[in-house]
Amino acid sequence: MKLTVLFLCLLVGTASAQESGWRASWDATLYGYASHTDLRHDSVLNPDNRIARMAESSAVGELRMNLKAENDVFRLTARPIVLTRETHNGFGSERNGDAYLSQWQLRVRAAEAWNVAIGRDVLNWGPAQFRSPSSPFYFDNGRRDPMRELVGMDSLKLSWTPDMKTSASLVRVFRSGHDASDPDVWRDSWLMKFDQRGNEVAYGLVLAKAPDRGMFYGAHAQATLGDALMFYGEVGSSVLANTLSSPSDVAQPFTVQTTSPRRTTALVGTSYTFENGQSLAAEYLHDGHGYSRAQEDAYFQRAQVMPGMALGLAPRLLGRDYLHLVWQSNLMDEAGHFRLMYTRNLSDGGSELAAYGERVLSNRFTAFAMAAVPLGNARQEFSTLFENSVTLGLKIALP
Amino acid sequence: MFRGNAVNRISRLLTLLALALSGLAWAAPDAQEILKNSDQARGGGLPGIVWEIRLVSRDGERTDEPQRLLVKAVGESSVAETLEPARSKGGKLLQVERNMWLTRSGLSKPIPISPRQRMSGQASNGDIAATNYAGDYQAQLGGNEAIDGEDCYQLDLTAKHKRATYDRVRYWVSVKRGVAVKAEFYSLSGKLLKSARFEYNNLIEYEGKRVPFVSKMSIRDALIDAETTMTYDTAKVTKVAASEFDLGQMQ
Repeated sequence: MKLTVLFLCLLVGTASAQESGWRASWDATLYGYASHTDLRHDSVLNPDNRIARMAESSAVGELRMNLKAENDVFRLTARPIVLTRETHNGFGSERNGDAYLSQWQLRVRAAEAWNVAIGRDVLNWGPAQFRSPSSPFYFDNGRRDPMRELVGMDSLKLSWTPDMKTSASLVRVFRSGHDASDPDVWRDSWLMKFDQRGNEVAYGLVLAKAPDRGMFYGAHAQATLGDALMFYGEVGSSVLANTLSSPSDVAQPFTVQTTSPRRTTALVGTSYTFENGQSLAAEYLHDGHGYSRAQEDAYFQRAQVMPGMALGLAPRLLGRDYLHLVWQSNLMDEAGHFRLMYTRNLSDGGSELAAYGERVLSNRFTAFAMAAVPLGNARQEFSTLFENSVTLGLKIALP
Repeated sequence: MFRGNAVNRISRLLTLLALALSGLAWAAPDAQEILKNSDQARGGGLPGIVWEIRLVSRDGERTDEPQRLLVKAVGESSVAETLEPARSKGGKLLQVERNMWLTRSGLSKPIPISPRQRMSGQASNGDIAATNYAGDYQAQLGGNEAIDGEDCYQLDLTAKHKRATYDRVRYWVSVKRGVAVKAEFYSLSGKLLKSARFEYNNLIEYEGKRVPFVSKMSIRDALIDAETTMTYDTAKVTKVAASEFDLGQMQ
């Protein structure tokens, strides 16, 4: 991969010497925010915060930059992130920092309809908000937490775009990008994607293959019915790595499986936009990899004895069925926006209320706030770790 | 008698000739053709166009901060990238037919937008993108009317399909210059929503000719005291790659 990067850099260098019309630009956002979390004192998974050692309060300063240089043939983009964080909990204080490339890409227009791109690319798609069943890499798609920065996958992508409605791509994923887990389950994997955008319908098909695991099959679609109404859905059939099996019979122990049985996960949703531009979205998710009510009950029973194992190897979602509601202001509004979210785990009956809002103070300064309140007890998914969480912050646009 | 018959025949022939000539003079021009020709000066019917737009909006006493957009359009597809204000820089609004998505740097994935949301603000996406009124609306000639002393065809436009931004438009096209000078935008119920005036001080090169191109569009809200002025800079007819409209390649 390093050789490929070097080759492409040389290509850009040659092109810049020969080609005129290079355009370069940059911008950045400086974030400063503080968070406070009331941890759950009777937590089963994290008793007395001994397992997760979560921060009870934190202060973060973060610079997120966007760099771009392009001409008619090449486009080089990069998104460097630099952050410093101070955290406090019952065990003391800690200060740490990080600097990394969240995304970068060198794209070459190889022919009329063909592009080749190498870099760290967020391979995320589909209309769903709560989770993305059609994405093999980003099931938790980051939409619920506007502050979260998704890190791209290190990849080489060949794209074919014969017209504005059709595109197909073949991607070689080298590894999972910055801070990849070890072992990296997506190292040396392949992805194929096909997209079609019609008059009122858009859809995409996904195939992904990681070594030593079954193929991932995914699809997403959206239909615009009238000015205000949209229907959408995503589905994925997958085999997961390293899953924690929790039999309903409490007498049986946890078992760790290196590959899970093949299961299907599907989400259907609809959104309606009101005259004032605000919208209401409702989504239902069925995750075949989640636990049934009895299995989740048994999970918490076993967690009393093995909380570390239960928390460390917990499935991506504990339950099997979820309802997610989102009420949000018009995203096109320049003065700011808000987003209210309600999520219910239909398997265990627990819920979470969350809100995000931001207000533009001037052309460079924007204030934002985020809060989450789980509704339930220590044996329900959303309320296992904390009782409430609040974040307040300011972002400054540069230059 | 013979002389009287001959005079009558000549008189009838002259009458018929006069009627035929007057008929030719009054033959209604093709409204759809007028509309199609006027689209070109607002980006329609071109193989691809790239332009920069500066938007300045006023809502009552409050003047919003200026916006600057880079718009690339081909037919009914467009992508508008925000250049200013700094806090929105890099955000893109993609429209492919009736489908529309919003992306911003750092956003985890593109967000689908409903057609109703694209109408928000003084300048809807339909105003920002290239104009293809001949494809979106059925035109009927309502007569001739002078706008600021300039003789204009007054066209009544009715939306042909749902992806048209407005349900009905009254449109005034200069007889002499062939460009639209005024528009009124109506809802389905016939309520006036906005009115607009156009100026054409730009020139673009197309098929070896220099043709006039829109330089300013002023939109006034009919329901509240609000106004938006869009100034069009650096308009250029150019082929825009299809990959510019691909969600997977918008990084």
